[in-house]
Amino acid sequence: MAIKALLLDLPRCTGCRGCQVACKQQYKRGAEKTTFFGGPGYQNPADLSPQTWCLVTYNEVVVNGRYEWVFGKRQCMHCQVPGCASACPVKALEKLDNGPVTYHKEKCIGCRYCMLACPFVVPRFEYETWNPYITKCTMCASRIAVGDIPACAKACPTGAITFGNREVMIREAQQRIAGNPKKYIHHIYGLDEAGGTCVLHISSVRFEELGYILRVPRSPMVAHTEPAMKTIPMVMLGLATVLGASYALRTRKQRNNQQAGGAGSQS
Amino acid sequence: MTLSVLNVRLGIGTLLLGAVTVAGGGLAAYRFLTGIGAVSNLNQGYPWGFWIGFDVLAGIALAAGGFVVAGLMHMFGGGKYHALVRPTILTAFLGYLLFIGALLVDLGRPWTIWHMMIYWHHESPMFEVGWCVMMYTTILFMEFLPVVFERFRLEHLYGIWRNVTPWVAIALLTLFAFAMTHSLIWVLAIGGVLAGFELLVRFGFIYRDPRMPTLLLMAGIMFSVLHQSSLGSLYLMVPHKLNYIWYSPILPLSFLVSAVAAGVAMVIVESTWSAWYFGRENEIALLRDVGHVLCWAIFGTLALRGSDLVIRGVGTELLVLTPQSMAFWIEVLVGFIIPLAILLTPEFADSARWLLVSSIMVIIGLLINRMNVAVVGITSTYGATYYPHWMEVAITAGIVAGGLLAYVVICSNFPVFPSAHERRAHA
Repeated sequence: MAIKALLLDLPRCTGCRGCQVACKQQYKRGAEKTTFFGGPGYQNPADLSPQTWCLVTYNEVVVNGRYEWVFGKRQCMHCQVPGCASACPVKALEKLDNGPVTYHKEKCIGCRYCMLACPFVVPRFEYETWNPYITKCTMCASRIAVGDIPACAKACPTGAITFGNREVMIREAQQRIAGNPKKYIHHIYGLDEAGGTCVLHISSVRFEELGYILRVPRSPMVAHTEPAMKTIPMVMLGLATVLGASYALRTRKQRNNQQAGGAGSQS
Repeated sequence: MTLSVLNVRLGIGTLLLGAVTVAGGGLAAYRFLTGIGAVSNLNQGYPWGFWIGFDVLAGIALAAGGFVVAGLMHMFGGGKYHALVRPTILTAFLGYLLFIGALLVDLGRPWTIWHMMIYWHHESPMFEVGWCVMMYTTILFMEFLPVVFERFRLEHLYGIWRNVTPWVAIALLTLFAFAMTHSLIWVLAIGGVLAGFELLVRFGFIYRDPRMPTLLLMAGIMFSVLHQSSLGSLYLMVPHKLNYIWYSPILPLSFLVSAVAAGVAMVIVESTWSAWYFGRENEIALLRDVGHVLCWAIFGTLALRGSDLVIRGVGTELLVLTPQSMAFWIEVLVGFIIPLAILLTPEFADSARWLLVSSIMVIIGLLINRMNVAVVGITSTYGATYYPHWMEVAITAGIVAGGLLAYVVICSNFPVFPSAHERRAHA
């Protein structure tokens, strides 16, 4: 099955937030009370939340000596080897063959390790209820399954969000950058980040100016825990052998006494 | 007018512990009605905080470390350390029960905790942690049972216990190996070695300990080692968030080594405290030996941490004045340098009081280290900040106080200390 991906061409975004609204409608996410905040960007709401899985960020950036609004987008990056799914102890998060990372709420125990493991700080937890779940963008896996495209891509009026096979999207991104090298910076965000993702961003300004997280390893998150997990059986076998053998050696005399005192047959 | 309940004197201390327990329990009940957000400052940027750092990372290290030490001494040090084994088993068992209680408060949907048994995911360090908890608590329960048998003179059950528990331990270890590897070869190798050992014991080729099946102690040590290190593995997943003063590929190893050092310190603190509380003679000769071990354990941990920092090239970061570097220096001073200095000074090393002081410092150092990894060293994005809410601290305090109460009640009613039984508090 071909791996699907979203291509986000940020210079084409006009900040209309149609994608944000479409996402809320699709998943029946409520409105939220917002306040002024002092963080990166001027968007509303300030950040992803259990109610907001797709967010257009508003950033004031100096371009050619004058301030301009440049828009970014926050949502689940749908990693090729997702840290959240590697972290989850009960496989509540699953990477589908065709790209999306989905959440099986009935399995989740609420440990929030996925939130810690995600390099893009995406999963959101419902702190305000007695029966909480993790929430995040699903890349509209159910829509893709019936041949439709994700709600945000469908809603976008300017072609800033394109949906298709990942290879095709990568080629498209490379062509757009090559075709207009002065407009775009030469970085496809999501091509290598965390081992590659299924949401690719291209931009006209450096990504740090849009509040993107750049302290992301180039390798999949699981590469950092795998060596430790692989040694478990070796540690077990080693400990069993060493402890058993040294105990046997250490207590030779006591064994001899025990046998002399008991049956007295062997020494 | 000494009033007592369950052979425990109702003094200021016990009443205070009771009050803290009740308050913590009430707040925990409130949390289950309203959600985690109502009682904590945990947020989207800091999903883990005080509870994970204090209750889980530090609590587990302090609970089980002591037992690992006592178990090793029991296996290899001959009979003279036997007096230290039972109290440390009780501490570990109670500690684990408390930790499970704390985990139920921290988990979002604790009533689904059994999902770990049916949805296996051996790639996840959290899965290993969860399984270690289940397995090790079962082992500790079995190890604690002789105290109950002795108390109620259940000689027949004691005999059955002696014969059955080694096989249960083998079954648990083998199941664990299968859950972690999904490989039949590893299961056969590990199960084979363990079963072979037990058969050799049964046929008289290896000494059979009349007090406690050796395999049960081995299983305890193995699960402990795996559990301590897996808590470090949890944080291998966050190279992007954990400050590189603490983030290192050897996190599992340094968690294990520091837990052993704190475990030695716990043995000293526990036996000093119980000697004082139950009016027993302090086993000072024994404790001086343990102090020697503590000295080496601190030195080993320090050497490991230091060479790790040097090899990874963390240098200037430690000299810049940031909250993280300051937290690091406090951790190192309190946990390593000052106690080491005390233990290396001959006048101090021979005194029971200074031995206790340096042990307490090592334990506080471990607490600071785990809080540094869980909270101070974690950087989140988008302006998220975290500081423990007073209710988080109060719930943890309630759990710890409840544990201390349970410890006192059990020690006053069961033959945990060899000599305490006849001298227990008067009714």
